[in-house]
Amino acid sequence: MNTATLSALAEPNRLQMVELLREGPLTVGEIADRLHVRQPQASKHLKVLHEARIVEMRPDANRRIYRLRPEPFQELDSWLDTFRRMWEDQFDRLDEYLQEFQKEEKK
Amino acid sequence: MVEKQAEKYVLKLTRVLNAPRQLVFDVWTDPKHFGQWWGPKGFTLHVSRMDVRPGGVFLGSQRSPDGQVMWGKFEYREVTPPEKLVFVQSFSDEEGNTVRAPFNPNWPLEILNVLTLAEEGGKTVLTLQGSPLNATEEERAVYEGMAASLQQGFEGTFQQLEEYLASRQ
Repeated sequence: MNTATLSALAEPNRLQMVELLREGPLTVGEIADRLHVRQPQASKHLKVLHEARIVEMRPDANRRIYRLRPEPFQELDSWLDTFRRMWEDQFDRLDEYLQEFQKEEKK
Repeated sequence: MVEKQAEKYVLKLTRVLNAPRQLVFDVWTDPKHFGQWWGPKGFTLHVSRMDVRPGGVFLGSQRSPDGQVMWGKFEYREVTPPEKLVFVQSFSDEEGNTVRAPFNPNWPLEILNVLTLAEEGGKTVLTLQGSPLNATEEERAVYEGMAASLQQGFEGTFQQLEEYLASRQ
């Protein structure tokens, strides 16, 4: 997980585009239509997503087709998972300590 | 700038603890308690300093069973007994300077943690909300924007996304 992935996803329009592309690859025009934005604006956001390697682009005649790459999401998921596990282990230790301490206090 | 109290963190964890809230707050903030449970199992924690107030710092080192030492710190932002503790967590050197995580260069340099404790029938509901932080205000705004988007349900759809992408491989 890195800053580029997170900052690319940080913008509401771009996040919406990512969610759209879950359903399958789309052209710039199709994306712009579905999100009700002008094509240049869609292109601008897609460029950021492309640079962050969240999407890849395939030219087809005079169309540009964008689709999602799984790797950045796998990285993000992996980081979230590590973070979550680390804290859950920490809470286990906290729990054990609280139980022991209260038992000692009762003596 | 007024900080929105609305959900805006990347990760949210909760745990119900069988202990009164004041005690839970104490074990987070009293050095004589904290050193007894903080850190991974099997590691020895040494508390170098612990000054729990806004602007204060916890600095501690952990020694692994095979002798490796890692330093970590908290910089406290808010301390509201017995219900809230806000701190920025990072790895550090023995003098308390922030350093990159030794195990992963892509780990966020700093993580903002918001700990809240709620009392429920003699038990305590602990909530931890965490999000990555970076040095500049601009980058912070970026993470907050992202977290806000994530909280709007992206985390749920993110799992679906993974499954969808896996099915397309």
